[in-house]
Amino acid sequence: MFVLQLAVAGIAIGSVYALIALGIVLIYKCSGVVNFAQGGYAMLGAFITYGLTSVGLPSVIALVLAIAVMGGLGALTQILVLRPMLKAPVVAVMMATLGILITFRAVCLLIWGPDQIGFPALFPIGAIELSGIFMTYNYIAAFLLSAILCAGFLAFYHYTPIGLMQRCTADNTRAALAVGIHVSNQVTIAWTASAMLAGLGGALLASLNGLSLGLSNIGLVAFPVIVLGGMTSLPGAVVAGLVLGILQAVTDGVLTPAIERFLREHTDIYSVGTLQQVIPYALLVLVLLVRPQGIFGTKESERV
Amino acid sequence: MLDVSGLSVRYDSVIAALEGIDFEVGEGRIVALLGPNGAGKSTLLKAIAGMLPFEQGEIASGKAVFDGVLLNGKHPAAITRSGIALVQDGRQCFRNLSVGENLKAASFRHSKGAEDRLQLVLTYFPILEEFYARPAGVLSGGQLQMLVIGMALMIQPRLLMLDEPSLGLSPVMVQSVFEIVERLHQDLGMTVVVAEQTVPRLMEIADDVYVLSRGHSVLHAPPDEIDEDRLQSLYLS
Ligand SMILES: Nc1ncnc2c1ncn2[C@@H]1O[C@H](COP(=O)(O)OP(=O)(O)O)[C@@H](O)[C@H]1O
Ligand SMILES: [Mg+2]
Repeated sequence: MFVLQLAVAGIAIGSVYALIALGIVLIYKCSGVVNFAQGGYAMLGAFITYGLTSVGLPSVIALVLAIAVMGGLGALTQILVLRPMLKAPVVAVMMATLGILITFRAVCLLIWGPDQIGFPALFPIGAIELSGIFMTYNYIAAFLLSAILCAGFLAFYHYTPIGLMQRCTADNTRAALAVGIHVSNQVTIAWTASAMLAGLGGALLASLNGLSLGLSNIGLVAFPVIVLGGMTSLPGAVVAGLVLGILQAVTDGVLTPAIERFLREHTDIYSVGTLQQVIPYALLVLVLLVRPQGIFGTKESERV
Repeated sequence: MLDVSGLSVRYDSVIAALEGIDFEVGEGRIVALLGPNGAGKSTLLKAIAGMLPFEQGEIASGKAVFDGVLLNGKHPAAITRSGIALVQDGRQCFRNLSVGENLKAASFRHSKGAEDRLQLVLTYFPILEEFYARPAGVLSGGQLQMLVIGMALMIQPRLLMLDEPSLGLSPVMVQSVFEIVERLHQDLGMTVVVAEQTVPRLMEIADDVYVLSRGHSVLHAPPDEIDEDRLQSLYLS
């Protein structure tokens, strides 16, 4: 029952991770760039939501506003930072995204400080119990919202004209240009959508776990899991998010206590620290040894 | 209709791929652009279509004018809207998307009359109707060539430029590609530029021939003055 309880919490958090991961894959698909700053956008989305509530706005309105601001910020980043780097190697662009992450952390540190902040409630407080499993409204709402948005986003990507242009750009840049698609505008759209997804995801995570600079690590923790998902597969990103959520819940709830108990009995070590951040990388190495293209990825990876 | 004069192109700011090219295409004509591998045929077509900036290339001097409008510096999207379609080498299409989505994507920026054009493309290329819902990646080389020409038609071009459409195709497929070009020219009055390395068949339908070698224009002549021997000696010069 305890494991089931962990799994439920893991799935709820994992669905939020899925939102954030979708953004990383979206950008990677159409530009070949791994956006290491995604966790930074999540953190910033949460801080802006918090900032807007602290000047008196109702939390839901603050959240919606923050997501809009994040969209604008995503577009601006692409236009001001990424576009001038059009001719730079992809690796240099990825380093730039790391720079963005560091900048965001510095800005948030300056304005809001290093301490954990109690995040305003986005949803009514309370919980239900279902055959012994305990679920707060917070978790249920975060899960439902994320699940609906993930599904909505996938539908958007597959059935709308903008989605079609996104898929064209992801598939073949040269062909997209030749049929008159503004490829760089499509990349801007991807950054906008990605930052909005991250902003919402960040606020949801903060509403579950509280808010601090640590939230920005999520991008780095999610990265190996997204590689496992195949990097170019949006459904893969959703599965990756869920796997990460469950993995962390189980690591926190079962693995870490077990290992620490073992270590305490046999050594002088008392704590293994944040093991949950290491486990995804360990898993990455294991799976990539067996399937270098990831679980959902296709063999040939195209770089334009 | 298309008037290229004194065009020089560089890649990576140093590699000179074209030097002072003059290239003229009259309305309603079929113009053959011949030259050995590396002569600069693709570079010329990409310069006209505005694709160079995306491959670290740039027009160093000279200009390309289409119906009185300067093309230099325009985005490929704007150039397609003014009526020029480039079918690039390597049959560039969206292989993970269905054939239907490929055609739809091509007309997305040119939506007026797209339904009618789609019907037209499907009558020209019945194979595309058959494979309409399948991913483009499953098509054979010849079928892909049909698809990319079909996509170019969805742009509703007045000038259609084909870059080595016969490369890697069986003689039978090559034959049918050129039949299609001829039909497009006759039925729709389409102006066509075809870049190839050597194709006797192309000489039968071309009105005008340009030969490039190492970035220079080495001959401009009517097709009946060109034969395989002359071409070979030009290529070697
Ligand atoms: N993207 C590029 N970067 C650098 N050099 C290039 C590029 N594309 C073509 N070139 C060079 O320009 C010259 C002409 O190439 P190209 O136009 O492809 O010739 P063709 O199409 O006649 O085979 C060649 O020497 C080729 O190496
Ligand atoms: Mg070529």
